[in-house]
Amino acid sequence: MRPIRTILVGILVVALLVFFLLWRIDSPRAERMRAALVDRVVPSFSWALVPVTKLADMAGSFQSYAKIYEQNQKLRRDLRQMKAWKEAALQLEQENAKLLDLNRVRLDPKLTYITGVVLADSGSPFRQSVLLNVGARDGILEGWAATDGLGLVGRISGVGQNSSRVILLTDSNSRVPVTIQPSGQRAILSGDNSAKPLLEFIESPDLVRAGDRLVSSGDGGVFPPGLLVGQVVIGPDGRQRARLAADYERLEFLRVLRNHTIGRVTDTGSLLIAPHASQPSPAPAPETAAAANEGGGE
Amino acid sequence: MIKTASRRRLIAWLILTGVSLVVYFVRLLPLDLSAGRWPGPDWVVVLGFSWVLRRPEYVPVGLFAALIFLGDMLFMRPPGLWAAITVMGLEFLRRRAQFSRELPFLIEWGMFAGVYGSMVLTNRLIQGVFLVDQPGIGLDALLWLGSVAIYPLVVLASAYVFGVRKAAPGAVDDLGHPI
Repeated sequence: MRPIRTILVGILVVALLVFFLLWRIDSPRAERMRAALVDRVVPSFSWALVPVTKLADMAGSFQSYAKIYEQNQKLRRDLRQMKAWKEAALQLEQENAKLLDLNRVRLDPKLTYITGVVLADSGSPFRQSVLLNVGARDGILEGWAATDGLGLVGRISGVGQNSSRVILLTDSNSRVPVTIQPSGQRAILSGDNSAKPLLEFIESPDLVRAGDRLVSSGDGGVFPPGLLVGQVVIGPDGRQRARLAADYERLEFLRVLRNHTIGRVTDTGSLLIAPHASQPSPAPAPETAAAANEGGGE
Repeated sequence: MIKTASRRRLIAWLILTGVSLVVYFVRLLPLDLSAGRWPGPDWVVVLGFSWVLRRPEYVPVGLFAALIFLGDMLFMRPPGLWAAITVMGLEFLRRRAQFSRELPFLIEWGMFAGVYGSMVLTNRLIQGVFLVDQPGIGLDALLWLGSVAIYPLVVLASAYVFGVRKAAPGAVDDLGHPI
């Protein structure tokens, strides 16, 4: 009896290690299996996940009643500042409308969005990601950007039938090309598991000040350009970091931006995307242009 | 007599599964998504290991491996690796369950700390060999510290809430043999 049990346990350990090896060798396939499993397990808990989260949030808000006076004062100060901003925004909006009218600009109809509810966390401080309740059924594709309405939050990585995973900008695997305004410098925002991701590869760091705005640059063709990311801050270690515009402490709903121009990675062999998939040649004949657009839209 | 012993074992399996699922559920709640949190203790492993030193038959290796593997998949860990290491740790402790019955609690606690520490290190080592991206070693140290710190609490709770204690001298199993 005893040796048989030892052998069986040995087989179990070897099987688990083989699965780990398979994941290491063929990561996309293993991650698809993971997405399928998560897709079966987590949404079946959603009837409990959502109410419990809401209750815990309510308890948290109740605690903040203690600080209501200070909060009120702070809000009044903020409101006064906002009024000044609103005035400026209205003037700019009118000016912008006039300019758009003059130019006959049509906004890109492809940039629409799908809103999803945050179902679950990655559950581990080693990985920064969330699970949304929208998936392949709703037409979500890998690589699309997710925002919380104000700032960029992350990108879709892993799509199940009813759920999809968003890798947050703070995850140590996240790299996003950004533009620093007003200096126009390009940089890479790289997550390092801390609340403020690091800015790397700035062309000339001297031109970058704390408080400069960060927007996505669209380099690499994954994120649409011009999405607000955050502000530059100087971290306690003296390096340039980003304070993210999205409110990571309370992510409830996320907007997933449809983006049909991304080249898609369908299997490991096509990891290198052919250049024409992301950038159509500058002046093709009308029919080929239409065909290219349809091809990119699939 | 036979019936009660096997029914008790079944109930223990159900409790182990239920507690693990509740722990996973709580960890999945999207309460605070800001980065830089501390890793919580590894409740499931601590529970399984403290039980296997008391009543080895309460922690079947297949069930425990399935629970840890589910955790691997849900929490974006490299799938299978931590489960395999945990099974090895579990079997190591199961072999020593007989002998640890006479040991004082402090030594048992030290044994858990040693086994869990070497599991965390093995995990890091194998991931390093396979060039998997890893977080800083500080987070793993905190994980180890938290799990070691809650070990006595879990032992007390299993004794007084679930009634899992070391077998008394002279206790018998299903077939009437002394354990």
